[in-house]
Amino acid sequence: MKSRCSNEMIMMMTIVHPLTRFVLTIVGIALCALLMLFLLSIYKGVSKGSVSYVRESGADLWVVQRHSTNILRSSSLIPLSIKPILQKVDGIKSVSPVIFILSSVITAKGPATMYLTGYDIKTGIGGPPAIVAGNRVANDNEIVLDHSFAAKYNINPGDNLIIKDDTLKVAGLSSGTNMFVVQYAFISLQKAFEIAGYPFLVSCFQLRLCPGTHPAGIIDVLQDKIDGISVFDQQTFLTNNTHEMESGILPLLYMVAFIGAVVLAALLSLILSMHVLEHRNEYAVMKALGAPKGFLPALIIKQAMVLSLCGMLTAAVFIFPLLVMVEKISPEVAGQSSFLHVILVLAGTGFICLVSSVVPIGKLRKIYPLDVFK
Amino acid sequence: MINNNINMGIVAMHRISKIYERQGKGTAALNQISFEASTGELVLLLGPSGSGKTTFLTILAGFQKPSSGQVSLFGKNIMDYPSQELQYLRARHMGFIFQTFNLMEGLNVKENIMLVTRFAREGRNQASKRADYLLNKFEIDPLRSSYPNTLSQGEKQRVAVVRALVNDAELIIADEPTGSLSALQGDQIVAFLKECVDKERRTVIMVSHDERIKHFADRTFYLRDGSMELI
Repeated sequence: MKSRCSNEMIMMMTIVHPLTRFVLTIVGIALCALLMLFLLSIYKGVSKGSVSYVRESGADLWVVQRHSTNILRSSSLIPLSIKPILQKVDGIKSVSPVIFILSSVITAKGPATMYLTGYDIKTGIGGPPAIVAGNRVANDNEIVLDHSFAAKYNINPGDNLIIKDDTLKVAGLSSGTNMFVVQYAFISLQKAFEIAGYPFLVSCFQLRLCPGTHPAGIIDVLQDKIDGISVFDQQTFLTNNTHEMESGILPLLYMVAFIGAVVLAALLSLILSMHVLEHRNEYAVMKALGAPKGFLPALIIKQAMVLSLCGMLTAAVFIFPLLVMVEKISPEVAGQSSFLHVILVLAGTGFICLVSSVVPIGKLRKIYPLDVFK
Repeated sequence: MINNNINMGIVAMHRISKIYERQGKGTAALNQISFEASTGELVLLLGPSGSGKTTFLTILAGFQKPSSGQVSLFGKNIMDYPSQELQYLRARHMGFIFQTFNLMEGLNVKENIMLVTRFAREGRNQASKRADYLLNKFEIDPLRSSYPNTLSQGEKQRVAVVRALVNDAELIIADEPTGSLSALQGDQIVAFLKECVDKERRTVIMVSHDERIKHFADRTFYLRDGSMELI
């Protein structure tokens, strides 16, 4: 209805002028919201990618060195010789040794670091969760790389890679093996022993249990029977790794997101305050004409909401192309955004808008209807 | 809220004084003024700049407190109105016309008029019909979608008058309504207001320094140095 005179219309009437400032404000809010969305998607991508090796391992129990709790930021070396002891325990179906080695490789783009994972290529246990190109490791002279690592260094299946004195052929590319700061690469256990130089030590054992076997009972048996080890069930080990990852990266992301939120609140507060001062006569007129008590504060809040909504919609439009672009530029930075993220950031931005309305609403109190008679 | 038994005194001021403190010295803008306006009359308050006309209006409408004395609005002491009720009173029962029109630049003519109906919590359809009637009556219907910056001074003031009347306000307060208009436009506006007084029994209290319009008034007061006299 053309004659409709609602809060929303009045609000739109005042906030979109001047248009240039309105657009710049929307861009500013969109950038702040994009920053928050981007950080959220990075967090999601990293948290999922970092632990998906553990999550999708299929192991029931993890045996590591005593006091070691995870494989992300904790070293673990246990003797391979305990494998027969483990195999003899009732209820254990299979025992798969895995060795992790942080290793440097020479690529065409220069040196790079990878998280070499040696596993039993016959059973496949401890190997890559999923292959997205090429094949699994078939022999000691092959390697499977994380696909983002391969993209970053422009390596394809069939290429050769030099590690120490060995030349390994890239058999395939895996997914779910990007830990953000470093990526998994998979080789045979035998090759890993050669590279590490200690064929009698592994990082962990992945155990699979016979159907119906209770993991807690096996954990107690193993810890009683073998000195110097810790045993975790799959869920606990996954939680340990997730916690380790979060404690490393979350504070940084939170801090940057907090700075983004503060910038957004300050920006909105400034814009809305400026807007109130510029339109002080109109606000005074509305007070003089009998505007109800909550009408003008509601107007400010709705203006803030309109700004945040426009900014958020702009951010929502750009976040997915942005993630694609970032992944192309820097493949290891694999963000994962979703509609839920957009809703979360929208809610956060809405809250920030409410907070940023406080100062301009305070300025309303200093506008008197008497002013319109001067 | 409104006392209907006070037809004889829709607004009354009793021994009102207003003293402004400046640099420790008190200056009396109004000095022991008593005044009463009844339903269906146009009261004109003349006086030179700085004579206290605007102070008189703003005290009458409750926008500032007098230093002493009492103001009665619609039969009730203005100090007894809670602030929310006073705001509603202004929106529903009072209409304001300003020298500089004070239209909202971002709203078109119809929207400017409808704004006060919202403050008065009027039904949208009914208010819209009344607005249409007034737009037609004041011959500004073709301008309903125009924005204030495209209107002439006379057109703006007619919009402001419609805005003051749209809620069927019993009391119209006009602060120098002809001040920004040509003599012809000014006469037209005051003639409109006089018609409202005569035909619709509204009360108009108008302050002006334009003595030409006093023949429209039922009563004319002259304000000088804070004192008021009937002329």
